[in-house]
Amino acid sequence: MALDASSRARFNLEKASILLLDDTAMGMSILVQIVTGLGAKQLYRCNAYEMAQEVAQTHEIDLAIVDALAPSGQGYDFVQWLRRETQEPNCYAPVLITTAHTPTSDIVRARDAGGHFIIKKPLAPVVLLERIVWVARASRPFLFTGSYVGPDRRFRDDGPPDGVGRRREDLVKAEAEAKAQAEGEAQPEAEAPPERSTG
Amino acid sequence: MPGGLPVAEAVERAQANLESIKPTCSAELLALLELCEAGYATLGDGFDDSALEGLYAIAVKGIGAGEVCGAPPVDIALTSFCDLLDHLRTLRRFDRAAVGVHVQAWRLLMSPGVPKAGAEQILDGLLKVRARFAAEAAAAAKSDAA
Repeated sequence: MALDASSRARFNLEKASILLLDDTAMGMSILVQIVTGLGAKQLYRCNAYEMAQEVAQTHEIDLAIVDALAPSGQGYDFVQWLRRETQEPNCYAPVLITTAHTPTSDIVRARDAGGHFIIKKPLAPVVLLERIVWVARASRPFLFTGSYVGPDRRFRDDGPPDGVGRRREDLVKAEAEAKAQAEGEAQPEAEAPPERSTG
Repeated sequence: MPGGLPVAEAVERAQANLESIKPTCSAELLALLELCEAGYATLGDGFDDSALEGLYAIAVKGIGAGEVCGAPPVDIALTSFCDLLDHLRTLRRFDRAAVGVHVQAWRLLMSPGVPKAGAEQILDGLLKVRARFAAEAAAAAKSDAA
């Protein structure tokens, strides 16, 4: 779902409480300029994991935009903590994870953190807005498993691959074929056409 | 009167806000570059994981600022640099030339008035260097898994 940057559709972030986590002054500044431009007013600016934890424990948040905090990757830890350790409604809060670069060793950590989206830097205002709108509209079910807590990661419904039927239909077809074959093997003569006499 | 903002106006305001921090952003990106050059100058000849981690920590902080400063190729160069450092750390190897060319490219791409074709040529070179180490890292991962 691409958002048209010239669209006249309206949205309102004025009353949303937004937690921002970024440990660099420049990164935070870029983020603040974008979200305030998009109309957000109530921001909790956190430059460290612990500060973000404190905010999440003491304030209700409607959205969190969390940098991965490379190279430590503490941003992922924060999202995991938010999902597992905070009270409702914060544990269900929409989370956008921003990342400048993901080292190979952190790919699984990023996938399993429990964020709604991962956005690669540089951040473009229209992309950030698109993700905010998307996360607000789509209601992805939450999963609670031993190794993962967060929104269902299987959220794209592209339909069956080109030229391939649905698995359920394949199963019905296969069952019908197997049944026909079994019946055919049991009564071969009954199925065979009668031989004509040529004599 | 409906509340909120039309998408077009919000995006325009956000862009204008980013424009207002361009000078600060450029100064901070330049400071990071100087730190990186100083770190590169102190590198020895052998593999030094903590030194490469230090360079990574500097380069990764710059990604995203290039776009705001009006130098988007810097973001691409820094991403390539971070990829390279990640591969070198995985391979536990050091390649002075590969690291050096990224640091020099960062400096060149920060210079005002770099022609588009020149920037593309620089990036092309960096991506080739990165790809070489990416292939080696992938091969090493494959043989580890086997």
